[in-house]
Amino acid sequence: MSELEGQGALPLPAEGPPVVPAAAVPPRRQRGGPVLSALLPGLPQVLAGRWGAGGTALGVWAGLLWTAAEGWERVVRSPWAGTDDRVALATLVVGLLGAWLWSMEDVRRPVDVTFVGIGQWALAARAFSRNRLAVAGAMAILAFYLVALLTPFLAPYDPAAQGDLITERLVGPLAAHPLGTDHFARDVLSRLLYGARVSLSIGFIAVGISVTIGTLLGAVSGFLGGAWDSVVMRFVDMVISFPRLVLLITIIALFEPSIFLIITVLGLTQWPGTTRIVRGEVLSLREREFIQAARAMGFSRGRIVLRHLVPNTLAPVIVAATLGIGNTIVLEAGLSFLGLGVQPPTASWGTMVADGRNHLIDAWWVATFPGLAIVLTVLSFNLVGDGLRDALDPRLRT
Amino acid sequence: MNSSFRRAAAPLLVIPLVACGGEDREAGGAGSDVADFCRTALARVDSFMSTREGETTAPEDERYGGTVVVGSIGEIADGMNGLVSSDYTASQHQSFVNLMTLIGYDEDYLPIPYLAESWEVDDPDRPTVLTFHLRDDVYWHDGEKTDAYDVAFTWERVTDPETAFPNAAFWDFYVKGPEGVEVVDSFTVSIRLEPHAEYLDAWRTTTIMPEHLLGDVPPSELKQHPYGTQCPVGNGPFVFVSHRPQESWTFRANPAFPEGLGGRPYLDRYVYRIIPEQTTLLADLLTESIDVYIVPRPDQVEQIERSPDVELRHFLFRNYVFVGWNQRKPQLADARVRRAITVGTNRQQIVEALLQGHGRVANSGVPPFHWAFNETLVDSLAYDPDEARRLLDDAGWIDRNGDGVRENADGLPLEFSIKYNTGNQQRQDIAEIMQAQLAQVGMRVQPQVVEWSTLLDQINTPSRRDFDGVVMGWVTEFKVDDADLFHSDRLDAPYQWAGTENPRIDRLLDTLQLVVDRDKALPLWREYQRLIMEEQPYTYFFFPERLDAVNKRVRDVQMDVRGEWINIKDWWIPAEERRGSRRASGR
Amino acid sequence: MTTYLLRRLLGAIPLVLGIATIVFFVVNLAPGDPTQLLIAPGMRPEVVEQMRANFGLDQPVHIRYLKWLGALVQGDFGYSFSHSRPVASVIASVLPNTLLLSAAALGVAFLVGILLGIVQAVRQYSLLDSALSVVALFFYSMPSFWLALMLILVFALYARNYWDWPIWFPASGPSSVDYDFLSLTGKVRDRAYHMALPVASLSLVLAAGIARYMRGSMLEVVRQDYVRTARAKGLSEGAVVFKHALRNALIPVITLLGLYLPVLFSGTVFIETVFAWPGMGKTIVDAIGTRDYPLVMAVSFIFAAMVVVGNLVADVLYAVVDPRIRYE
Repeated sequence: MSELEGQGALPLPAEGPPVVPAAAVPPRRQRGGPVLSALLPGLPQVLAGRWGAGGTALGVWAGLLWTAAEGWERVVRSPWAGTDDRVALATLVVGLLGAWLWSMEDVRRPVDVTFVGIGQWALAARAFSRNRLAVAGAMAILAFYLVALLTPFLAPYDPAAQGDLITERLVGPLAAHPLGTDHFARDVLSRLLYGARVSLSIGFIAVGISVTIGTLLGAVSGFLGGAWDSVVMRFVDMVISFPRLVLLITIIALFEPSIFLIITVLGLTQWPGTTRIVRGEVLSLREREFIQAARAMGFSRGRIVLRHLVPNTLAPVIVAATLGIGNTIVLEAGLSFLGLGVQPPTASWGTMVADGRNHLIDAWWVATFPGLAIVLTVLSFNLVGDGLRDALDPRLRT
Repeated sequence: MNSSFRRAAAPLLVIPLVACGGEDREAGGAGSDVADFCRTALARVDSFMSTREGETTAPEDERYGGTVVVGSIGEIADGMNGLVSSDYTASQHQSFVNLMTLIGYDEDYLPIPYLAESWEVDDPDRPTVLTFHLRDDVYWHDGEKTDAYDVAFTWERVTDPETAFPNAAFWDFYVKGPEGVEVVDSFTVSIRLEPHAEYLDAWRTTTIMPEHLLGDVPPSELKQHPYGTQCPVGNGPFVFVSHRPQESWTFRANPAFPEGLGGRPYLDRYVYRIIPEQTTLLADLLTESIDVYIVPRPDQVEQIERSPDVELRHFLFRNYVFVGWNQRKPQLADARVRRAITVGTNRQQIVEALLQGHGRVANSGVPPFHWAFNETLVDSLAYDPDEARRLLDDAGWIDRNGDGVRENADGLPLEFSIKYNTGNQQRQDIAEIMQAQLAQVGMRVQPQVVEWSTLLDQINTPSRRDFDGVVMGWVTEFKVDDADLFHSDRLDAPYQWAGTENPRIDRLLDTLQLVVDRDKALPLWREYQRLIMEEQPYTYFFFPERLDAVNKRVRDVQMDVRGEWINIKDWWIPAEERRGSRRASGR
Repeated sequence: MTTYLLRRLLGAIPLVLGIATIVFFVVNLAPGDPTQLLIAPGMRPEVVEQMRANFGLDQPVHIRYLKWLGALVQGDFGYSFSHSRPVASVIASVLPNTLLLSAAALGVAFLVGILLGIVQAVRQYSLLDSALSVVALFFYSMPSFWLALMLILVFALYARNYWDWPIWFPASGPSSVDYDFLSLTGKVRDRAYHMALPVASLSLVLAAGIARYMRGSMLEVVRQDYVRTARAKGLSEGAVVFKHALRNALIPVITLLGLYLPVLFSGTVFIETVFAWPGMGKTIVDAIGTRDYPLVMAVSFIFAAMVVVGNLVADVLYAVVDPRIRYE
C-alpha cells in the first residue's frame, strides 16, 4: 500500500494516528513559550535544540528588523520608488510576518512531529533535517535569496555610481567601503549585492527551463519508446558530447550578449542531462503494476505521463536541478568573465572578477570578494543538493 | 577621394591571437609546391648571405653586435606581405625592418629618400607624372637586385582590385593599373596621377615587393601565400630568420644593406616576441628578459618609471578616441545637444583617470603633430556643466516631468545608448563615465557592449545605422582626410556614421583634397577644424600618448609619431651590456 | 569484445557528423563576418567585397557546407583568416599544448582525488573525513578562473613582489623568453614552472569531484561481504584496502573519465585565457572574436570529437573491466 500513497493513482486513505519512528526527537521543553516566541520568534525552538527551524525563524526575524532599521529612510520611501523597492518592501513584510506566525503556531503544537507519516516525502524531509550541513546550506540559500530581494534596502551605494575618479579609485576595504572600491570608484559591496540578484535569478530561471524541457522530453521519450526514443537519445548524446562552454561561447559571442540570450542558451543546453535521468526512471517505472493498472483503466497516455510518471521521477530531478543551479551560476560567472555575460554597468560577479583581474596586484579585493560570493553560493546549493540526494536515495532503491 | 586613414587599429592591436608553435620555417599545409617555394627561397637567402658575410670584413666599430628583444601582445598576423596586410605592427616591420619603402619621413614629417634616391614631378603646381630614381645598390636578401620592375609589379598589384589591397584609397587620384606606371630604365620608374594634396604620402608606407618571387602568384591568392608569414624575402636592414607562430619573429642583420644608407645595422639579431599577457610583459621587462615593451598599460607606468634600468617613452601618436553620434536620431539631431554632451563630459579628468595624464584632449580629427593643427582651439569645449545645461535649455530640452531627464516639446526623453565593443576596457570606461557625468545635466545614457564584428555590422551598414553613440578609436596617417566620415556624398557609404550634411564642410573637404600648396591649404584647414567644433558630429576625446618602455642599455632608440621601429637599423648595445654570448650566437 | 567496439565506433560516427553540422550552421548563420574586422575608413566597399570573395565567403551557405564537409572528410580543414596559415597548421601547433595541460591536470586530479577518497572512506565519520568533505566541496564549488586568479595572486605576484619567497611561479605563458637558450634540464624545469599554476587550477576542482565520488564508491565496496571476509581472515588493513577493495572501487570511477572530459575542455578555455596559454581553448575564443570561421569550426569539431573518443575509451575500459556490459 505504501507505494501507492502520494502517487495520485488511488485515493489516499485518511492518515491514521501518526507513526513516529523509533529514532524520534524526545519531546522538548518549551521555555517561556508563547511570550518569548512573540518577541523573538524562533528563540524557543533554538533553545529546545531545533536549531535548524528555529535558527531560520530567528535569523529571518532579526535580520529583517536590522535591515529595516539600517535602511529606514529607504524603507519608508519604497512604495513610491520603483518595482525593485516595492518587491523588497513586500519581502520585508512577508518575511517578518511569516517568521512570527510560524513561530507562534509551532510553539502551540505539543509534540515534535513536524514531518508526519511514512510517505516518500516525509521520510526524505526527516532525513534531510537530520543532515546538519544540508540544513545549513538550505538556510544559507534562504539568506542569499532574502538578501537579493532586500538589496535596495541593504546596499550602501548605487552599484553604478562612480565616486571621485582620482581619489576614490581602488581603495581598500574601509569603513566607508566595507569591501573596497573598484577602478571606477564604485563600491564593491553594493555591486556584490546587485550581482547576487543577477546570478541567483539567472541560475534559477535557466535551470527551471531546462528541467521542464528535460523532464517532459525524457518522460515522453521513455514512455513511448521505439524510434522516437532512439532519435531523441541520439540527439541527447550529441548535445552532451559537445563541450557545453564552447557552444555557449560560440552562440553568445556571435549573436549579441543579453540577459535574455544567456538564460535561453543556458537553459537550452542543460536539458539533456535531465532527459537522460528521467528517461532512465521512466523506463523502469513503465513496467510497474500501477502504470499497467492505469493503462488498463484506460487513462490517456498524456495523463499517465503527467500525473503518474512524472511525479515519481521528481526525486532525482530535484537533486539534479539543485546541483544544476550551482553549476549554472558558475557558468554564468564564467561567461561574464569572458565578456559574454550581462552588460555593464549591470554588476555580475563574473564581470567583477574580470574587472579585478587587471588590478590584481594592487587591488586584490576587486576580484577576490565576488569570487568568494560565487563559491559560498554554489557551495550552499551543492550542500542542499547532496543532502537531498542522500535523503531521497533510499526511496530510489525500491 | 583620396583617403589615407588607417583603420581602427586599437581593437586589432588588442586581439591576441595565440597558438604556440614549433618551428615553422617550412611551409605547412596543402601543396608541395608551396612547401618548395619556401624551401628554395630560404635556401637562396642562406647562400647569398653566407657569400656576403664571407666577402665583407666585420667593421671595426665596437657598436656592432648584440640582440634586442621587443615584446608585445599582438602577433603580426599578415606577416611581411605589404600587398595584403594592414595592421600597424606589420606595416612598421615591413617599412623599417624587413623591406623598404621608396621614401621615409624625417623629424619634421617631410619626405626623405630611402629606396628612392631622388624623385621629381613634371609640374610642382599641377603634378601629373611622378618619377622615382631608385638606388642601384639594394639587393633582395636572395641576391637579386631591387629595380624598377619591382616597383612596377608592386604598383600593378596594389592598384588591382583582385588583390584587395587594404589602402586602395591611396590611389584614388592616381592612374591605376599598368597604364599608370612606366619603367623608364632599370632604376627609373614613372607614375601618372591627377594633382592632389600630399601625393607623396602613399609612398611612405607602401613597401616594394619582389617581382621575381611573387610575380606569378594570382592577386587573389596573395593573402594566403606563405611568403608573408613563413618565408618573407625582403631587401631591408634585417633578414628573416624564423617565425614561431604566436611566439616570435626572428631577424638578423643584413650585411648587404647599402653603405649609403648606413650599411649593416649594428644589431646582430632582432627578435619580436609575442606575450599576450601584460602582467608578464611587465615582469619580463623589469627582469630584462625583453628590452622593449610596446604599449604597456597606463597603470603600469608607475612601476616602469621606478625602475632604474628602464625608461618610459611617451609621445603623441596618430590615434584618437571619440564617440560618434548618429545625427539621424532625433535626440542627437541638434548640434547644440551634441555640444552640450561634449561640454558636459569632463574630458580632461578622463585623460587623467584613464591615461594617467598621458594624453591630450582632442577637438577634431586633426592630430597635434599635423602641420595644420589649429592650436587656438585647444581649450575650447572645456568641461562646463552649466554651459551644457544652458545649451540644452536653448535647444528646447527641459525636464518637464521632474524625473531628472530632459524632454523636448514632444515629450521625447533625452535618452540614448553608447555602444562599445567587448574586450576594450578603455572604451567601456569612457561609456560608463559619460553615463555618470551626463546624468548630472539631465541626460540618460545607456552603455551597451556589443561584440566587435556585430558592432561593425550595426554601424557600417547604411540601411541599419543601428546605434545612437559609439565609442571608436582611429589611427590617422600624416594625411588627414575626413571625407568618408563627414561628406554628404558618402552618406550611403559605410563610414558616414554621423550622418553629417553640411554644405560648408562638404566644400572644404572637396577643396582640401586637391590643394597641393600647403600655404594655400592652411587657412582652409583652420576653417575646417573650427566647423567641426561647431558641428560636433563626434565628441572627440583624446589623442592618447603612445607609451613604450625601453631598456636603457639599447642606445639611440628613436620613437615618435612615425613609429617605434623607425631607426631600428641604428640601435646598438654596448658590448658589456649585451646578453651573454649564448644569445648572440646560434640560430 | 570486438563486436562491442565496432558497434560503439559505428555509433560514434553519425554523432560526430551531427556535431560537425551543428557547429557549421551555428557559426555561419551568425551576424558579422571576418572581413568586418579588416575594414578601415577609406576602404572601398569593392575592396571588402573582393576580400570576401578571396575568402570564399560569397557563396551560399549550403554550398559552403558541402564543400566544407567534403574537405573535412579528406582531412583538409581549410585556411585560417586570422592566422594566415592553414588551419591544420594552427591546430598542430596548439593542440599539443592543450593536451599537455589536460593530461597533466587529469593525472593530478585523479591521483589526488582517488587518494583523498580512499582516506575519507577508510576514516569515515572521523573529523578528518568531515573536514576533507567540506574542503572538497569548497573546491568543487569554485569557478576555475577565479581559483586561477587567486593562485596567481598568491604564488606569482605577491610571492615574488611583496613576500620575496624563494620559489614563485610565472603569472602566464608557456615558457620564458629565453627558453630556446636553456639546456634540456633547464627547459623541462621552465616548462614545469609554467605549468604548475594552470594545472593546479584545473585539477583542484576536478579532484574535489573525484574525491567525493571515490569516497562513495569505496564506502560501498567496503561494506561488501568479501571485504569482511578478508578482514576476518586476518589480512592487514593495507592489504584489504589496496588489494581487494580498491580495484573494485575504481571501476565506477573510470566512468568519470568520460564524464569529466567535456568539463576538462571547458575548463581549459578559462585557464588558457587567464594564463595566456597558447592552446585550443584560447585559440577558439580568439577565433570567435575575429570571426575566423574555418578555425572556429575546426576547433569545435575537434573538441567534440575528442569528447566522443574519450567517452568511447571510457566505455571500452568499463567493458574490459566489467564483462556484463559487453553482452548487453
